[in-house]
Amino acid sequence: MSEVNSFDPCLAVLDEVYEFLNGEMDEVRVLVVRQHLDLCPPCLRQYALEQAVKSLLSRSCCQEQAPETLRISIVAQIREIRVTYRTEDLA
Amino acid sequence: MDEQMDERATDDLESRFERDALVFLDSLYGAALRMTRNPADAEDLVQETYLKAFAAFHQFQEGTNLKAWLFRILTNSYINTYRRKQREPHFTGTDELDDWQMVKTQAYATGQLRSAEAEALDRLPDSEVKRALQELPPEFRMAVYYADVEGFPYKDIAEMMETPIGTVMSRLHRGRKMLRALLEDYAVEHGIIAVGVSGGESQ
Repeated sequence: MSEVNSFDPCLAVLDEVYEFLNGEMDEVRVLVVRQHLDLCPPCLRQYALEQAVKSLLSRSCCQEQAPETLRISIVAQIREIRVTYRTEDLA
Repeated sequence: MDEQMDERATDDLESRFERDALVFLDSLYGAALRMTRNPADAEDLVQETYLKAFAAFHQFQEGTNLKAWLFRILTNSYINTYRRKQREPHFTGTDELDDWQMVKTQAYATGQLRSAEAEALDRLPDSEVKRALQELPPEFRMAVYYADVEGFPYKDIAEMMETPIGTVMSRLHRGRKMLRALLEDYAVEHGIIAVGVSGGESQ
């Protein structure tokens, strides 16, 4: 009884906001959350902030470029491993 | 004859590896940078990852997710080598938060920000976002990075971190809350966001 009474749809939605944002939610639940966000400005605001943080993260962290020397060194080592294999095979 | 065929197979494997695996170099390096927090260790970690991956590449099944497979090796190498070496303070065991972190996390729930401020957050400099991310405990940082930057499904992240999906979710939730609190603090301190005014949107 008390569980039913204390159910707070806002808390439930905010608790799942990351799953909603990350596409980790089943279709039925997505509809429920969407409907709730349409009708509940405070939750919509929280959602907007979470979405902002998510796109901020992708923007800020997505542009790292590995140094060219690293690529060269990896390729060289892979080829060296192959040559070693072959030499061992021939021996 | 057999020898020639072996040789050809090795050549194929090698060129396939170079062609298919090296395209993820920048992604792996970006993740390694966030994990190790310095370029020299990130390079070592990525190098180690590729060499291990190449050694195991004959076992890799074509058609399965190569990027996820590489990230799994990266994560594993990080946990086994760098995490120990760096002795990060929060990495030792449980997913418990200390008091400081709890305070930060609670600040998030006060709802002091308004919708215009979602846009204001977008004005935060990249360097600050990276710095905030690096303040998170490594497990949280990884979960957030993999889900929000790399866009991996929870299922893949769970495999990479060798934890149940529920743990991934809890790390992600707590990591995101802490991150948001850190970013909001910074935004308020630098006047990017005004606090404490209730009512209409700021102009």
